[in-house]
Amino acid sequence: MIRSLFNLLVFPGFMFLVLSGLIFEWLDRKFLARFQRRVGPPWYQPLADLIKLFSKEDLLPKNANDLLATLLPLISLSSVLTAGLYVPIAGYTPFSFEGDLIVIIFLMSVPTLAYYLAGIISLGIYSILGGGRSLLQFFAYEIPLLIALSGPAILGGSWSVSSIMESQGRLGPFIIFQPLGFILAIVGLIGKLKRDPFDIPKATSEVVGGSLTEFSGAKLGFWNLVMDIQAVVGIFLLIDLYFGWTKMGYPILSIVIFVIECLILILILSGTSAIFARLRIDQLAGLGWRILVPLALLQIGFVILMGV
Amino acid sequence: MDKISIPIGPQHPLLKEPLSMMVDISGEKVLGGSLRLGYVHRGIERLAQQRTYVQNIHLIERICGICSHVHTTTYCYAVEALLGIEIPPRAQYIRALMCELERIHSHLLWLGILAKHIGLDTIFMHTWHDREMVLDIMEEVSGGRVSHAANQIGGVRFDLDAEHDKMIRKILIKLHSQVEGLLDVIETEPAAMARTKGVAPISPDLIKAYGVVGPVARASGVDVDMRRDAPLPPYDQLEVKVITHKDGDAWARTFVRVEETRVSLNLCETIIREMPRGDVVVRTPRRIPAGEVIIRSEAPRGELFYYLRSDGSDKPARLKVRTPTLAALSLLPVQLSEINVADIPVVLAGVDLCIACADR
Amino acid sequence: MTPIKLEDLCAEIKTKAGCQCEIYDGVLGDQTISITPDQLKPVIDVIFKTFDYYHLSAITVQQRKDQPDEIEVFYNFWSGSGFSLMLRLPVKSAKLPSIISIIPGADFYEREAAEMFGIEFTGRSETPPLLLPDEWDQGPPFIGEKEKNG
Repeated sequence: MIRSLFNLLVFPGFMFLVLSGLIFEWLDRKFLARFQRRVGPPWYQPLADLIKLFSKEDLLPKNANDLLATLLPLISLSSVLTAGLYVPIAGYTPFSFEGDLIVIIFLMSVPTLAYYLAGIISLGIYSILGGGRSLLQFFAYEIPLLIALSGPAILGGSWSVSSIMESQGRLGPFIIFQPLGFILAIVGLIGKLKRDPFDIPKATSEVVGGSLTEFSGAKLGFWNLVMDIQAVVGIFLLIDLYFGWTKMGYPILSIVIFVIECLILILILSGTSAIFARLRIDQLAGLGWRILVPLALLQIGFVILMGV
Repeated sequence: MDKISIPIGPQHPLLKEPLSMMVDISGEKVLGGSLRLGYVHRGIERLAQQRTYVQNIHLIERICGICSHVHTTTYCYAVEALLGIEIPPRAQYIRALMCELERIHSHLLWLGILAKHIGLDTIFMHTWHDREMVLDIMEEVSGGRVSHAANQIGGVRFDLDAEHDKMIRKILIKLHSQVEGLLDVIETEPAAMARTKGVAPISPDLIKAYGVVGPVARASGVDVDMRRDAPLPPYDQLEVKVITHKDGDAWARTFVRVEETRVSLNLCETIIREMPRGDVVVRTPRRIPAGEVIIRSEAPRGELFYYLRSDGSDKPARLKVRTPTLAALSLLPVQLSEINVADIPVVLAGVDLCIACADR
Repeated sequence: MTPIKLEDLCAEIKTKAGCQCEIYDGVLGDQTISITPDQLKPVIDVIFKTFDYYHLSAITVQQRKDQPDEIEVFYNFWSGSGFSLMLRLPVKSAKLPSIISIIPGADFYEREAAEMFGIEFTGRSETPPLLLPDEWDQGPPFIGEKEKNG
């Protein structure tokens, strides 16, 4: 009982995920700044921003539904936190069961729907536009992402992330067999996190702040936390599914390797943000359906053949 | 989907200066827009009638922050034409040098803004970093990064010595290689090209009908550049390469401005090399003889038009300024039809708005 | 583009628009011909359609202190060289035909002239203010008090 509470609240639950989210945000902003010849923020900046947001006034347009506006970020936060419980960290996972990959993917999609709803209930023009775009974008990247992520599941013979990880201990890391799948998963993750080049819903020059234009104060603080934690859960998931040979003899070694893999993935995400321009929504939809989905199907076909 | 109107401005991340636009959209397609100027109208033309010619230099420099020098240069040339004097060659070259430097820093600023609007933040950071080098030159030479107060009636206010010469040459060389690198990226980066190619093309007939000037006109193939066609000294002795492009879309406008930066860098090097020795100012009387004069010059955004009438006193009787942005803005509602919502930033950036110029 | 010679322009205008124009040499830097307000539209028609490229630089309006009853309007063009049309209007009921049907880009310039000098442009559905605020109620800023109240 105490153990479960510890797992829920501290590691790998609430505190660990929040801390990882803040560290991720700091690393991301630091890498991006270095790519752009800037210095970048100090290590405590994301925490400072969060505290600042929680101390600010909470305003909403007059007729917007305050209850929903409060519930949506909280529901999203609890979804990503719950998803984070099932993702093995350096091989350690207290709660895992058969089929948890599907649950994780489902829980990770809840924030996207909540983001769309948040835009609608805000009643501002920019929020509605941003919300609509996020839903359009969702359809463009989610399908290739799902197809790509089922690759490791088929190869590992299970829908539980920890079992997939263990089978990589026997077969070797899956990135060797599914490099295309890995790239597609990264692209899908960028879309899910609404980062450049897929930050169309939040494109400042076009829709000011997207769905969250009218949010402020504690609600916005929660939304930022949701985005950060979504990012770390996504990164952990990708590491487990594609680099899952971290269950080695010495726990310290697994942790070090896990951290290095996290850093590499964050570097990849920041690098793509720095290099690419934002796509238009029609270009993204075209990319998603005409290129990503066929490639994903190709990868799956290959995996199935290999299994046979 | 229904038609909704989104306001862009007066405060909006897209706009550096206040401008009110109402854009009608349906889904992701823009149907049209209307605009309202006047948020930064300070009545410069009327104020100029109440100040002496010398005080007006201070006033006119503040019409715009980015192209401040070319405004005062045109004004000073107008007054000197009424006086019937010619300023010393060294002063002419210094004025031209500051004009070209201003053109470079204006285009770099514009490139950064365009990159930011299409999501290429990295290019924004890099171009504005390079722009700092140009502003460093201006600060060393004139004492101000943005407002230089370089001109006075009869010449310029400062001279360049050997130290300045060396520093300018050094920075120009560094800037040249930086700008080459940036040009490479802009002209080949696939996402940037995907966002700008084919967006909002303008035909030469439309340019002619709306009186659009500057890089926007040159990008549609209209070959007009006041530095070559109505040269103020010393441009009549310098060879100015005029860049045109025939497509007329957003990418062509980017290309023209980017190549113009390169041309301006070469011009700066030529000016520094060929700068004649001598004085930088001649004495002029306070009262300007009666007369009317029209002077045109090439600001970074296009043709700048000044009409000055003097009635023999020490204050102008009429000063009329027509800035290039005003001409470009009349085309904006037309440009806004039949594009995507996501292209609005690209179109707005392509016009290179300087609302303070347009409003005066 | 080749600069237009004033004599050629006058000859063209005489043949195609049938009006005589006088050369006004008060302006340095631009050649100017002086016409009457009713000749405006046909002359601009000739200019816009006959020659290679015409670009309307500005519409300059002014009121001379020594002739306070009149407003002078210049239409400044550019085609290889500067060239202007000049006409004079009475201050109190200044009316001009609008040329936006020929040159749509004149819209902003006409609006500014209308609000700053009180010129009425006929042939336009509406002439909203361009630069002055919507609540401006003090009349054209450039016209002296005597002429306004008259």
